[in-house]
Amino acid sequence: MTLESPHGHIQARRGYARRKASSTVMLILTGLTTTLALIPLFWIIGYVVYQGGKYIDWSFFTQLPRPPGVAGGGVLNAIEGTVLLVILSSIFAIPPGVLAAFYAAYYPNTPLGIAVRFSTDVLSGVPSIIIGLFLYAVVVKVQGHFSALAGGMALAILMLPVIIRTTEEMLKLVPPALREASLALGAPEWKTSLSVVLPAAANGLITGFLLGLARASGETAPLLFTALGNEYFDFAAQVRSGLASGQNPFAILAGILGQPVDSLPLTLWKYAQQPYPERTHQAWAAALVLMALVLSTNIAARLWIVFRQRRMKG
Amino acid sequence: MINKSRTPLSVLGKFRKRMGKSLHHGDRVWQVLTISMGICVLLLILSIGWTLWQGSVDARLKFGLSFLLPTLDASWNPVLDKFQAWPFIYGTLITSAMAILLALPISLGIGIFLAELCPGWLRLPLGWMLELLAAIPSVVFGLWGIFVFLPAVVEPVGSVLGHTLGSLPILGSLFAGSIPVSGASRLAASMILTIMIVPTISAVTRDVFLAIPHSQREAAFALGATEWETISQVLVPYGLSGILGAVILGLGRALGETMAVTMVIGNSIEGTLSLLRPGYTMSSVIANEFAEAVSPLHSQSLIEIGLLLFVITLLLNLLARFLVWRVARRAPQQEVRG
Amino acid sequence: MNITPTLSQPFVLPRASARSIEDAVETEAERAIRPVKLDIRNLSVFYGKFRAIADINISIPAHQVTAIIGPSGCGKSTLLRAINRMTDLTPGSHAEGEILLDGENILASGIDVVQIRQRVGMVFQRPNPFPKSIYDNVAYGPRLYGIHRRTELDEIVEHSLQRSALWDEVKEKLNQSGMALSGGQQQRLCIARALAVEPAVILMDEPASALDPIATLKIEDLMQHLKEEYTIVIVTHNMQQAARVSDYTAFLMIDDERAGRLVEFGTTNRIFTRPEKKQTEDYVTGRFG
Repeated sequence: MTLESPHGHIQARRGYARRKASSTVMLILTGLTTTLALIPLFWIIGYVVYQGGKYIDWSFFTQLPRPPGVAGGGVLNAIEGTVLLVILSSIFAIPPGVLAAFYAAYYPNTPLGIAVRFSTDVLSGVPSIIIGLFLYAVVVKVQGHFSALAGGMALAILMLPVIIRTTEEMLKLVPPALREASLALGAPEWKTSLSVVLPAAANGLITGFLLGLARASGETAPLLFTALGNEYFDFAAQVRSGLASGQNPFAILAGILGQPVDSLPLTLWKYAQQPYPERTHQAWAAALVLMALVLSTNIAARLWIVFRQRRMKG
Repeated sequence: MINKSRTPLSVLGKFRKRMGKSLHHGDRVWQVLTISMGICVLLLILSIGWTLWQGSVDARLKFGLSFLLPTLDASWNPVLDKFQAWPFIYGTLITSAMAILLALPISLGIGIFLAELCPGWLRLPLGWMLELLAAIPSVVFGLWGIFVFLPAVVEPVGSVLGHTLGSLPILGSLFAGSIPVSGASRLAASMILTIMIVPTISAVTRDVFLAIPHSQREAAFALGATEWETISQVLVPYGLSGILGAVILGLGRALGETMAVTMVIGNSIEGTLSLLRPGYTMSSVIANEFAEAVSPLHSQSLIEIGLLLFVITLLLNLLARFLVWRVARRAPQQEVRG
Repeated sequence: MNITPTLSQPFVLPRASARSIEDAVETEAERAIRPVKLDIRNLSVFYGKFRAIADINISIPAHQVTAIIGPSGCGKSTLLRAINRMTDLTPGSHAEGEILLDGENILASGIDVVQIRQRVGMVFQRPNPFPKSIYDNVAYGPRLYGIHRRTELDEIVEHSLQRSALWDEVKEKLNQSGMALSGGQQQRLCIARALAVEPAVILMDEPASALDPIATLKIEDLMQHLKEEYTIVIVTHNMQQAARVSDYTAFLMIDDERAGRLVEFGTTNRIFTRPEKKQTEDYVTGRFG
């Protein structure tokens, strides 16, 4: 078995059949792991739809919670609270996020540009419970009470990295020629950015916003010490009583934002740990609503990308 | 020149000049806005760190290092105001480590399957499903965990592990004792965490594999390597630091995960190392106790735990980005086909 | 042979003086007695419905350098890649016809691709060393086939590097990364890696297109040595290179359906001096390109 007798002395040493077989086995295993990882997805969706579907009814959406152990009632407070928190967090996160993204996209190699992208990366990795602690210290403790405002700000910080990242990517995809054409006509930078670049990137931005919303609306941890939860929160009733007592709309709004609110994930968390079967049932129903909300937002965001790509290709 | 001649042009010129001025102002405002928002993001990170540091001054001064040191009979006593964080640190570390141990082979398999094997039309839908799994809210994982996953999977698996591995010499201490009937245990937290971090790790692994130049595969195939030999001996070593980055990213998520873990881990401090017994993690003790912490030292101790968690995840994220970046930098080789 | 040698023949043939007499008198009959290593019969390769090459017939002689030339997009690389079935890696591709390697049809359905690739090595357009040490790059193939004893591997690595004329440059740094070498050295490392599994045929897909002239010259010299032990098939878009290094030349062109077809095959000297087909003459004299 010397090297002088080449052409095939190597072949027989290790069974080719065995190599081939072990290759096939490993390749099948990778397929199996993929299947294994997807089992929980369908198991969770299936079970939540089954359980939640059993206990969901109209009053679930329209009534306030009854006392523990009493059947009936709904989670109107949590639904209203979720909507309020999501709106608040969008207001706090989207404009600053888009502006910061403009900077990061057009000055990527300046110290601040690098710092922005770097801190965005870091921010997306900070545990959400830490965000809650932070907002507690800088808002709740200062104000002296838990509030929707603090909750909205906490969720905004969670959305911020998602929004900056996607906006930056989308801005980079806008052809530079488009921007230059506008600048060459004498349009100033800000006007070019707002009236030319932003609309061109709009489709992608919507995707980013939706993904950010999906993330924010499912979060619980940052709300624990900010929005806290509020079983008596009733938006309509508060507006009515405010108007009746002659308050101006801003004062009513300030009143609402200054008090604790509930949200679907918070309600789910609390109900899941209570020993009353009625509450457990409502937890499943809340899980169904929450999951439908989050997953449909998520799917909508992704479908949006697909359609946009189709249209650009065609 | 135009200014001197009194033609309509000069009027236009003036108008332009004035208009230009206001537009120029607009640019300045725009620049100030974008720059200051950029600075805000940076400040946000710094002020989170600063707030946590400031908020835990007294606890750090009072307890010093003993707050963090390993001990089996740690005290966490709001009445006596004596706090030691070790049980929570251990709980976080062991559940995250177990989750990584379980998630790594699965995610590697998924990454390989998605990047190398699955037909093109299947890649996108499978990628979506994994992203949906990652998008399911943490509390829903917890609810499903308590009522479905723990009794159906964790409890049986836990008792089998207890009977088989529990009597081993050293490893046995991780599987000592019997698992509670509810299934609430560190093992349950590890398994739920595994499900939650698999999408993260496998997505990054897939991207790492997709970024490896095609010429590497060709070189191995041309030498007569089988598909698996090409993957395991050429592609995995090539993308190793990227895969490591993916693992660290997953670890970061596992360490910070709060709600699902809090719902299934049992939330108790026992002087045991066992995976089969209930435990507590850093994030779950904050979630459970912070809103009700009355004594200043209690809440300061909780904030110190938060500070520790913040620093750990910060460092891990930096490391992960660095590793992923290094792979991306090494793959500039262009693809050329004859 | 009614075509007179073109006077405008632009190429310098360095070894022509030594070979031209022999080549000039070689007849079809004489060529037939040369041992054939690879017999390509009616080969067509499809990518989906698109036929990339059509009805190729070439008998590649053993221990010779055969060049495949033709305008870009004519299927040169496809033809080359079919010979060790690298075309299988492109989804939706399939081949029809036969490629006989020592009389065995490597396109037959029962054939192991992996074994074919061990007998038919390949060197690519761009050097593609693994990000491993020089030693591990060369030892990769032998290890696949179950050779793990250090002394044996040492011997194979040294031998392969010597045959690829790289040994003297790297023997002091076998543990360094193969990626740290220069482009030309990387390509010779890739050749050594291919030699280490003891193939019978070596396919080279424009092996010098990414290299500078000096590195190119080294690779070309190497081919002259290697053909004593191996059969070499090289794809090149550089006609001067084909004229310099090869003994036989196959000229391919695309037909009206954009499929590559063989126009002419023969000794390099004849193809470049007395082509039988008008298309070949036009191409080698640079009249279209």
